[in-house]
Amino acid sequence: MTAEGATTYPGIDEVHPDLLKATRLGMVIDQQKCIGCWTCSVACKEENDVGIGLYWLRVLTVGGDNIDVPSGTFPDLALEYQSTNCFHCDNPPCVKACPVSATYKMPNGIVTVNWDRCIGCRYCMVACPYDNRVFNWRKPVQDPPASLVEVGNVPPRPKGVVEKCTFCEHRVAKGLEPRCVVACPVGARVFGDLDDPNSEVSTLLRERPSYVVFPEKGTKPSVHYLMRFSPNVAGGES
Amino acid sequence: MSAASAEHVGARRAGTSRGLAAWLIVLVAVLAAGVGVWIYQYIRGLQITHMRDNVIWGLYIITFMYLVGLSAGGLIVASSGRLFGVERFKPIVRLAVLEATVAIAMAAVMILPDLGRVDRVLNLFIHPHFLSPMIWDVTVILIYLVLSLTYVWLYTRRDLAARGSWLALGTRDTSEAARARDERTTYRLAWVALPAAVLVHSITAWIFGLQISRGFWYSSIMPPLFVTSALVSGLALVIILALVVRRFERISFDNGLVSYLGGMLAVFVAVEGFLVFCEVLAGYYPGVTTDASRQLFTGRYGPGFLGVEVTAGLIVPFILMAFASLRRRPAIVALASVLALIGIYAHRGNLIVIGLGKAPIQLAPGTPLGTPQASGSDFAMSSVYFPSGYEIVIVAGMFALAALLFTIGVWVLPLKEKGHGAGGSQADG
Repeated sequence: MTAEGATTYPGIDEVHPDLLKATRLGMVIDQQKCIGCWTCSVACKEENDVGIGLYWLRVLTVGGDNIDVPSGTFPDLALEYQSTNCFHCDNPPCVKACPVSATYKMPNGIVTVNWDRCIGCRYCMVACPYDNRVFNWRKPVQDPPASLVEVGNVPPRPKGVVEKCTFCEHRVAKGLEPRCVVACPVGARVFGDLDDPNSEVSTLLRERPSYVVFPEKGTKPSVHYLMRFSPNVAGGES
Repeated sequence: MSAASAEHVGARRAGTSRGLAAWLIVLVAVLAAGVGVWIYQYIRGLQITHMRDNVIWGLYIITFMYLVGLSAGGLIVASSGRLFGVERFKPIVRLAVLEATVAIAMAAVMILPDLGRVDRVLNLFIHPHFLSPMIWDVTVILIYLVLSLTYVWLYTRRDLAARGSWLALGTRDTSEAARARDERTTYRLAWVALPAAVLVHSITAWIFGLQISRGFWYSSIMPPLFVTSALVSGLALVIILALVVRRFERISFDNGLVSYLGGMLAVFVAVEGFLVFCEVLAGYYPGVTTDASRQLFTGRYGPGFLGVEVTAGLIVPFILMAFASLRRRPAIVALASVLALIGIYAHRGNLIVIGLGKAPIQLAPGTPLGTPQASGSDFAMSSVYFPSGYEIVIVAGMFALAALLFTIGVWVLPLKEKGHGAGGSQADG
């Protein structure tokens, strides 16, 4: 449900009651489906009023040295994307590092930030092995202004605090999926409870080979990537 | 004393007080500039620094580490001299303790401009999270600050009381028996102060060394390396300050002590060099081309590491201080100390900038920087950090405050030990 009087969008506002009972919310991103369009990133900015220059969600290119550039030599090229937001780790180094418990793990597994308590020391950003957190180096500027954007009612952040993906905790609290999940035009993002063996995320992880980023760091990310059907290596089968 | 020489001394005193006044005015001016820029930073936010989401920490944290090291080093030198009965340290023990106190107080202040929300700094005490090494550091720094202040008071209170100064804080007894009691108390306190000084810099090292996120930092060598670099920089600063303060006749010691301290500096520098070598070899040997230690020798960080940190900061001071003939010349000892101080500052800088410079996930376009860029991408795979003018002015202001506090301390506190009184022989050691 959006604010009173606002339009209700069928896809965006579909309630999933299971999310309210979840104990370890996680995400599965299908590398076979992702087309690297950045719609998730834009939707995230809109939903969460993320300031200019800040990104809670970025789409990394798995390929060459630059964005959208494949690896390999023509015609043996390889390219895929790794849509990356906070991994809401099961062993989150940021939570350990925060000196004032401003970043903490919620009972449903979401790692979130209390913007009213953060002192802006940025130790959590140092502790994150993925650079998935961003800092308000200035008073955040929204363009277009948040007031013009119909969806999203996340409280504004002051300058000088750290922010990051919250799995849209304000939506999850109402049983709604995160905005990036509903916005993805190819359905590459699946959201659900990793502790529930019958959830779609658990089923996909059983049926398809997957990976997490930097498993050797022991952070146990809750965002998993489903591998492409054919291995993506330069010179490999297309 | 003849009238002529009394006149000469009088003129020199007047010259000294004029010089002191000019020195204080310069320090206050730099401090005022620093505070002014800090207020500007508070209004504009940390965007006026050159830190961004890629190089998340910069000159403020580099200087914070440096100050903690200077303090720990000073106190370790002072208290180990006390504990192990190195009598020849006596003339500089009070000076070293004063240096340690000022440095740790300034380290605590230095954290503040780095905070995005300095107005919420009390959250560190209202909502402490005891798993965070930063809370360990806050705790140990405050304990250590109280310890240092106690030390300064214990060392000077009888002499202050003899002068009738209120700074004696209620102490009236100036008898030899009372002095002997204080002597024993400082000895006992040294048993606490020495481990506390080692701990304060070890915990600062753990802020970095316990983070698995940064390969360049995640190493068990960090605390020993930090403690050693603290010894190098702390001793070097004590040497320089002792030579300066001696010129103004606030303390007295002979040049034998200077050459003895120079020898100690050579040993500390050698250990520091060994630990740096261990660290670099372990990073380099496996041949992982993405390892941060590869950046130490070539490219943009080469001059800072090989040139400043290793050559100017370790090799040259070691060579200078390894020869007894050079150690006997206070000017050479002072030169080696200045170089060592610069080298350790470079070490702190290299640690931060190389440790954070590269985006951990090396996939294009990299890490978002956090502010829109006038030209080029809002993301970066790796970043060059050099502090902005604003950062430099704020840090200069903090150093000016440190110098101000130290100068006041030197002028107000009796730094001369009784029995090491006037004159000061110039015997060669």
